[in-house]
Amino acid sequence: MGLKGQAAIVGAAQYKPEKYSTAPQMFHLEQVADLAARALADAGLKASDIDGLCINGPHFHEASSFVPAMAAEYLGIGVNFAEVVDLGGTTAVGMIWRAAAAIELGICQAVLCVIPQRMAPFGPDDDPSAMARAMRFGGHSTQYGAPEAEFDLPYGHMGQNTGYAMIAQRYAAQYGYDQSAMAKIAVDQRTSAQAHPDAIFRGQTLSIDDVLNSRMVADPLHVLEIVMPVAGGAAVIVASRELAERSKGRPAFVTGFGERLGYKSPSYAQDMTETPLAAAARTAFAMAGATPADMHAAQVYDCYTITVLLSLEDAGFCAKGEGMRFVMENDLTFKGNFPMNTHGGQLSFGQAGSAGGFSQVVEAYQQIAGKAGDRQLRVCDQVFVSGTGGVMSEQGVLILQGA
Amino acid sequence: MSNKPMPLATPISAPFWNGLKEGRVQLQQCNSCQQWTFYPRRHCSHCLSHDLSWKEVSGAGTLYTFTVARIPTLPEFAGAEPQILAVVELEQGVRMNTTLVGLAPDDIRVGMAVKPVRARVSEDGTVLLRYTGADVDLVERDEVPKAPPAPAADAGPARTRIDVKDIDALKALVSDQFSDWSNQILVDQALIDDFARLSGDDYWIHTDPERARKEGPFGGTIAHGALVQVLMSRMQVPLSFEVTGFTNMVNYGSERLRFPSPVPAGSLLHSRVRVKSVEVLPRGTQMIMEFNIHVVGQDRPAVINDLVILYM
Repeated sequence: MGLKGQAAIVGAAQYKPEKYSTAPQMFHLEQVADLAARALADAGLKASDIDGLCINGPHFHEASSFVPAMAAEYLGIGVNFAEVVDLGGTTAVGMIWRAAAAIELGICQAVLCVIPQRMAPFGPDDDPSAMARAMRFGGHSTQYGAPEAEFDLPYGHMGQNTGYAMIAQRYAAQYGYDQSAMAKIAVDQRTSAQAHPDAIFRGQTLSIDDVLNSRMVADPLHVLEIVMPVAGGAAVIVASRELAERSKGRPAFVTGFGERLGYKSPSYAQDMTETPLAAAARTAFAMAGATPADMHAAQVYDCYTITVLLSLEDAGFCAKGEGMRFVMENDLTFKGNFPMNTHGGQLSFGQAGSAGGFSQVVEAYQQIAGKAGDRQLRVCDQVFVSGTGGVMSEQGVLILQGA
Repeated sequence: MSNKPMPLATPISAPFWNGLKEGRVQLQQCNSCQQWTFYPRRHCSHCLSHDLSWKEVSGAGTLYTFTVARIPTLPEFAGAEPQILAVVELEQGVRMNTTLVGLAPDDIRVGMAVKPVRARVSEDGTVLLRYTGADVDLVERDEVPKAPPAPAADAGPARTRIDVKDIDALKALVSDQFSDWSNQILVDQALIDDFARLSGDDYWIHTDPERARKEGPFGGTIAHGALVQVLMSRMQVPLSFEVTGFTNMVNYGSERLRFPSPVPAGSLLHSRVRVKSVEVLPRGTQMIMEFNIHVVGQDRPAVINDLVILYM
């Protein structure tokens, strides 16, 4: 079942994360074209090679429907495969496997996967406060008939912070909790970020005490355990084996994937501490014929420290309930024995909206391709990548393998 | 009414909300597989059967998890009590998102027994299902916004007296820093209706709650900007100074008057002020005071009024 490993990531581009207030403003279509050109240049391929498109639908600025057609027209390309992916933080992971599957089906040879996340310029009639109104309820629907509008928002259940905090609190009650271990996740990632030229927190190191002394946002989560939203955006080119051989770097073949979702509010999970990633990772490892111990690096979606902890456990890098001890006993930096989020993770690299999940995909590719500069791992052939959307409600896994 | 999000019942969920108004907690049970479903649906969330019955339950359960939101999830949720979000697992096995009341954060434990608290949150009778400890003496409470008491006449800090001829001292008052907040006042529909009659501005967005809810952009009626502006007179701002020694003090009008954000009916308002400029002009000493009126909990002002005061 699944992929045969005949499609590979062959190129990537990612805007340097910047504060929204100072980042350039560009139309989303313009960013799509710009990111595509950069990713193609990275791959050594040309625009006419692209015949597939995965793009974000939600929050696309110039349209809320017909997004792929508008983007293809703007790019001046025709495609045999067009997909809007709407999976929050696991959109990037979802795009990569869909692209690989389409290529293995033989319907296309090179798929542009892209999410623009810089702000678009305001038009003369645009109301800047409209965005504030839209942001008021975070990612929640206020539509009549939406269950969350009726049963969550009136109680103040909104945004992500409190949802993840409640998962952490439940975990603490079931398995115990070591604040220092949670802080160490952020600290080790911050150490790696010092070796990434684009990381938003490059130049600012962090200690466990810094994390524990930072403001408590929602017990037990401190502000330094929570990602900072930034402007950015990314594109990745997934190509067939034939095209990959023509591309200029070392390709990262997609040998396994998994995806799992079943609720939006984790309150309705069977067990809040058993994440959907468990099933996704089992599928992905089985498909790739690999085990967690085979991985040379793990790029784990990290909107919060608790996301990382549960992902490590549920992917099988350690046993359930052992995550805190695992974090304390291992060096998670790019120099360590368990290299994880070697770009700093989104916690230290920055989270560019739903393109944030691309930071893990791009880092996995760059490590395999030998493009990771100062933070390059000596040996990196096989990498685990995860994505998490919503409040640990939609999750995906990729296994990437160097040629 | 307030600008907190309120549940809008659908034909599917109405029995749940109506039951709460009448003092009952009701859940749907499947007649095919006997499992319970929450939130309300047209089908069983276990077997997709459409054969469901509403059953009254005690509402009792255990605390599945919780968190104390140290930063309120919306400004409107800031208040005297901490915002404690929770997930409760009822005896029937379903879970609900809710909030805990009547409990100190340190007394809350995952797994503790909890019981429902009916919280009346709106004049229209809407009841939310909050929770508290099983042994806490609390079954219902009234959370409908009420007009706060007027402040005592001598409330506020001691004021430094500054003679109007002491221009340096007056100029030293100029600051970017605003004063502390005034007392709070409630803007309800009755007050808005009174102002509509007085002013003749009876546009539906102010006076027709039903139409404003359906057609307006704010989910309900809003107060007239002009009304909110004059309500300044009901708010006592704790000023740190008092100007003395003048023959006459004139309200010379406004240098700038803006209504940057709407004031929904049912809002609590408060205000604060800063001295923006002091100038000696041929007609007298002119002080511009920037009054900002805010809906309580909102960063963006509802009214900005640069009031010009002439001391002669």
